[in-house]
Amino acid sequence: MSLDNSAKVPVEERLFSLVLALLATENGLTKTEILSTVQGYRQDFAHTGDNANLERKFERDKDDIRELGVPLETVQSPGDPGNNQNLRYRIPRGAYELPTDIAFSGEETTLLNLAAMVWREGSLSTESRRALLKLRSLGVTADEPVLGYAPRVRVRDAAFDTLNAALGRNAYVRFDYLKPGEEKARLRTVAPLALVQHQGRWHLAAEEEGTGIRKTFLLRRIVGRVTITGKTFEAPAGDQTARALAELEEVWNAHTAVVQVEPGSDASTRLAKRRGTVAVASELHLHFSDINILADELAGFGPEVLVISPPELRSAVRDRLIRTAADHG
Amino acid sequence: MARVKKSKPMHAQEKLTFLLSLVPYLIERERVSVAEAAEHFGVDAEQIREAVRLIAVSGVPGETSTYQYEDLFDIAWDDFEDNDQIVLTNQVALDDSPRFSAREAAALIAGLQYLSALPENADRTAVASLMTKLSRGASAQPSPLAVEDTGSDATLALIRESVESGVQLEFDYLGARGTRERRRVDPLRVESMDADWYLRGWDHLRGAVRTFRLDRISDPRVSEQPISHSAADVALPDSLFESSADDLVVTVDVTNSAAALLADYIPDGAVREQLEGRVRTTVRVSHYHGLKRLMASMPGVATVVEPAEARRVVAEWAAAGAARYAEDAS
Repeated sequence: MSLDNSAKVPVEERLFSLVLALLATENGLTKTEILSTVQGYRQDFAHTGDNANLERKFERDKDDIRELGVPLETVQSPGDPGNNQNLRYRIPRGAYELPTDIAFSGEETTLLNLAAMVWREGSLSTESRRALLKLRSLGVTADEPVLGYAPRVRVRDAAFDTLNAALGRNAYVRFDYLKPGEEKARLRTVAPLALVQHQGRWHLAAEEEGTGIRKTFLLRRIVGRVTITGKTFEAPAGDQTARALAELEEVWNAHTAVVQVEPGSDASTRLAKRRGTVAVASELHLHFSDINILADELAGFGPEVLVISPPELRSAVRDRLIRTAADHG
Repeated sequence: MARVKKSKPMHAQEKLTFLLSLVPYLIERERVSVAEAAEHFGVDAEQIREAVRLIAVSGVPGETSTYQYEDLFDIAWDDFEDNDQIVLTNQVALDDSPRFSAREAAALIAGLQYLSALPENADRTAVASLMTKLSRGASAQPSPLAVEDTGSDATLALIRESVESGVQLEFDYLGARGTRERRRVDPLRVESMDADWYLRGWDHLRGAVRTFRLDRISDPRVSEQPISHSAADVALPDSLFESSADDLVVTVDVTNSAAALLADYIPDGAVREQLEGRVRTTVRVSHYHGLKRLMASMPGVATVVEPAEARRVVAEWAAAGAARYAEDAS
């Protein structure tokens, strides 16, 4: 047994031992008790002298453990409230364990496997992998699917991971945002409320600092890095994702473009299959939420599409085609 | 069975999650082979053995604060070392599976939402109850992350029906080069890339595996011809877009902010030369029909540098598009 070996204890062993120790205690352990007795800390604990490094390590470990959804809580010492040295740490079993009435069938497990497979990069992929490990813990075997699926969503917006991290912390974020038609990106400071994907693009629903005005930002128009500020806000009540999606859907429904498509062309096949498209005689009525994005999409079809209305879309597509022809002339 | 991503080394947080997940599984199973546990968790057998060795010497400081024998997990060592079987003989502190974190639950819920087009998800009540369970099984309210519900897709439902009944699917397909043909296909796998869905199947017309974009399929129906190829006997390459020796190589300039949009076309190891505000690199395409559409959809941000033939094809495509507005106005 290597418990008293001073050889370096691997990080996962220290974290595992910390979780076990804090689950096992009813009344909680003080920081000194933890550092002096728990495997992975005790090897480095100085009984006389400075444990500043070890304390910093413990602070980081607490954050890492909480990020996994482990409810590590602090309790005031009853006899000595307000004394930080006597704060006690513990993990209440009820808040740690999956409620016993939650079970997943083989069919549900298959669906969740697919749901996790959707994310293959960035923080969502890490989180899905961890969620699957926890799901496996329940011992349910997935049903063999009738048809194999390999779904995949790329999160190509550099801003995504930082914004996703900010959501959980209710912290204001700052970023440069370039609106189409504007020369320069402008600095925004907002309270992030929800990240939603609509029509294959990620949007941030947020409230502007100071004015409290609700705005939706397209992630691909965020320029450079997103900074999480130290300033926090109180999360508003209600389902923010449902509200954000409903707002985007409203914008989508409110805008209609009328186009003529070359019969039998790629444009006619694909645009007709776009969600919400209505064919009226030889014309297609398309919904859209952002005129610049639709103009790019339609320009790709070259001579297969002629925009009838609205006039702004018509000139946006024409200008794009003239620009591309000139750039390649 | 679907796997938790293999071969990628686990970080400390993931290893901890693995340990906290493995213990309740071992308790529940009482006796399980290393191979079966590895298969179940989708990890290598050695990862299971390593974790079991660590669990077996872990525990709580206990009354004496010195990790006495009764404060530690223990396993049947002989069974483990001689027979590769895992039996926990003493357990401490841990009984049940851990809850999901708010963000883990959110990732799975958003993944389910993305899959709303699948016939397996057509029962919205069942999916809603599954999402509620994830939400209740999380340690805090899932973070506000969501993907729009796209509704069930009729073509996907037919593909599934065709596999279920073991008969070919037939449909009109408009190829990227602009030709339309009736195709008969044994479906092998459905894949997606963001908002685009693809069917990979054995194409009876070509006598080979082909990939079809769902939005280029029209008039699909389940035929009466039995399938001759199933997913079990055709090896599908992992990559959706395969490169071939006949591919054309094109040099392009793309602005830094739009470079990610071309990522699928840039071959591994391609030279990327940083110019002012843009990158000069190469893309591979099987023909210029696809290239002209791609370039015309990225006006002002991507330009073909060479070969001259590629520039000409893109210029003509865009000019023909622009010309329609000149005609229309007159």
